[in-house]
Amino acid sequence: MPDDSLYSVRNLTVEYQTRVGIVKAVDDVSLDIRRGEILGLVGESGCGKSTLGKALMRLHTGPARIANGELWFDGRDLMKLSDREMPDVRGAEIGMIFQDPMTSLNPVQRILDHLTETIQAHEPETSGAAARTRSEELVERLGIRRERLNEYPHQMSGGMRQRVMISLALALRAKLVIADEPTTSLDVIVEAKFLDLLKELQKEFGLTILLITHNIGVVAEVADRVAVMYAAKMAEVGDVNDVFADPKHPYTQGLLKSVPNIRLEEGELYKMEGAPPNLLHPPIGCRFHPRCPFVMDICRTREPAFEPVVGGHLVSCLLYQTANVKQEGLHA
Amino acid sequence: MARRWYGADWWFVTISAVMVLGFIIVAMFPGLFAPHSPDDLVGPRFLAPGAHPDLPALILPSDSPDNELIDLAVPSDQPRPIVAVVQGVPTSGALNEQAQVIDNQIKNEPGGLRLRPRIERYATLEEALQAVVNGKATAAVVQSLEFEAISAQFPTLREGASITGERSTAGGFFLGTNDIGQDVLSRLLWGTRIALIIGFSSSLVALFLGVPLGLFAGFVGGSLDRSLSLVMDSLYAFPGLILAIAITAVLGPSMLNIIVAIAVLYIPTYYRIVRGQTLSVKEEVYVEAAKSIGARNLEILQKYIFPNVIPSVAIIFSVNVADAILTGAGLSFLGLGLPPTIADWGIDLARGQRFIQTAWWMITFPGLAIMLVVLAFSMMGEGLTEIFNPKLRER
Repeated sequence: MPDDSLYSVRNLTVEYQTRVGIVKAVDDVSLDIRRGEILGLVGESGCGKSTLGKALMRLHTGPARIANGELWFDGRDLMKLSDREMPDVRGAEIGMIFQDPMTSLNPVQRILDHLTETIQAHEPETSGAAARTRSEELVERLGIRRERLNEYPHQMSGGMRQRVMISLALALRAKLVIADEPTTSLDVIVEAKFLDLLKELQKEFGLTILLITHNIGVVAEVADRVAVMYAAKMAEVGDVNDVFADPKHPYTQGLLKSVPNIRLEEGELYKMEGAPPNLLHPPIGCRFHPRCPFVMDICRTREPAFEPVVGGHLVSCLLYQTANVKQEGLHA
Repeated sequence: MARRWYGADWWFVTISAVMVLGFIIVAMFPGLFAPHSPDDLVGPRFLAPGAHPDLPALILPSDSPDNELIDLAVPSDQPRPIVAVVQGVPTSGALNEQAQVIDNQIKNEPGGLRLRPRIERYATLEEALQAVVNGKATAAVVQSLEFEAISAQFPTLREGASITGERSTAGGFFLGTNDIGQDVLSRLLWGTRIALIIGFSSSLVALFLGVPLGLFAGFVGGSLDRSLSLVMDSLYAFPGLILAIAITAVLGPSMLNIIVAIAVLYIPTYYRIVRGQTLSVKEEVYVEAAKSIGARNLEILQKYIFPNVIPSVAIIFSVNVADAILTGAGLSFLGLGLPPTIADWGIDLARGQRFIQTAWWMITFPGLAIMLVVLAFSMMGEGLTEIFNPKLRER
């Protein structure tokens, strides 16, 4: 584990028990989130990125279950904590911002109560007045007037609610904020403002942010590093400039080519062949091989390892591992 | 279509709320509204609503200044007044008795007035009245209804007060009297109290048991949920009144037992609604968000799920009270409810049923009262549902 990593996920597998069988929504994923960075996690809908985000806080209920893996957060394995100890970590050390700010606040509770309750839940010795003062300072920093603390969620706009959600994460100085598609339901102007705010806060508070999104543009704008997920597996992780300039994995290449651009002629936009696989019966070998333009015979039988190609640029693709494979073949 | 017809507007709720409030006020202070005690035998039996009670009344010449029996009193040195009665009826005895009472009251007062009428008996009503017309008697005392029947033949006579001083022509019983001479209106008003006590307390007991059970079952889920739901569904499957009859039959008739029986009946109503709502609210993002800021289960249940579930409980409570009143009246009607001496609508209904051909008012008014209370509470519940639930509102 590198020293500068705040959260190290090791071999995480999350399963959903469904009527037709077990679906591994996150399958043997390892990921490092470094202190003070914004890590963008991108992928198609249903590739397991939100499941991964929730698993980082052990927020799973019902049919979902963490089957395997270690969650090293700030020097301890969260998997070893009991269910009673987890709520102390949630909110206080890891915060979460949800996709839809319209439904992520309790409709029958004032904004102020959301904040003071969060503070007092983790710091019971804080008085109501002190919690109130802290909440007021916090929301003013985020650009919400303190009078509006007495309002109910339905009286606020989507952007304001999303800022309230951040303030909930910041109220206890969480080290890591997991933002699960925080801008999906916002319009582009509010989205841009929100992303600016996120960057400012990251610098000001030394936050570490895991930004889960399907919008590559958002990642390009704010993220330091990017992780690409495909079919419950990690496809590529690297510095945002490296990955965007020189994508290694064929899936990432396709993904970047398929971003709409005003300068493209009609019909020029790249469309990736095929559809994401059914995770109930994932393809054998590399999960991307049915859609891969560079598919080799070995891809159909052998699962690629997740290995560095250059520096910190990790890729899970046999194109870059064939040398090793051939060597192994020689030895055998 | 039905919805369009009673699509609740504000006035719909207002009317029902005023009615409910009225019933509650009557139930709290029935004594203020009831003209008589509900248990006293205050009048003749089977008196129709508004009918005049048939009392021995004083019949006087039209020009006489007198009106009551006491007006006939004269100083002791003057001749005693002559009062005509009909032979063989109990009137003369009652007259004697009443005159004695009044005489005892006035004989010690200054003025020396005495009331010792000479009672003359006539063979028929007509002869007695003719004696007054002729001046042979100062007044006659006959049953007021009998006089009213033939008063046209004696235009020079008029009816004064009854000998006991009541205005015999006043309809003392607005809704009539029952088979033992109790005032139907008074029993109705006092019955409101019993009906509302049963309705409210059984619904409250059901609410305080059903809501927490529903919350926990919905929130915890799993085998607790499954077994509780099985019990509740089997309770729910029983026809309501039958189950209540069974429970009161085992426990015996008393107010508390009725409340327990009806409460058991309605626990599943609350349980099912709260459990269903909890199941849907607990999947809301704000509950997950609450977990993500470190809220513990009890806190989530208390501050996130309960406040979002309670509006629907308030609405079914109103409808539930109506239902409980109906069931309570049903139990009393079947004789499984309260002791028969208590002023209760169901009991009055059962009593009235025996005399439905001779005294329609005995069964009609308690029945109307039950209908109105149930209507008011259900109307309020339905109205509130439609106002609070925008999904049901007309497009």
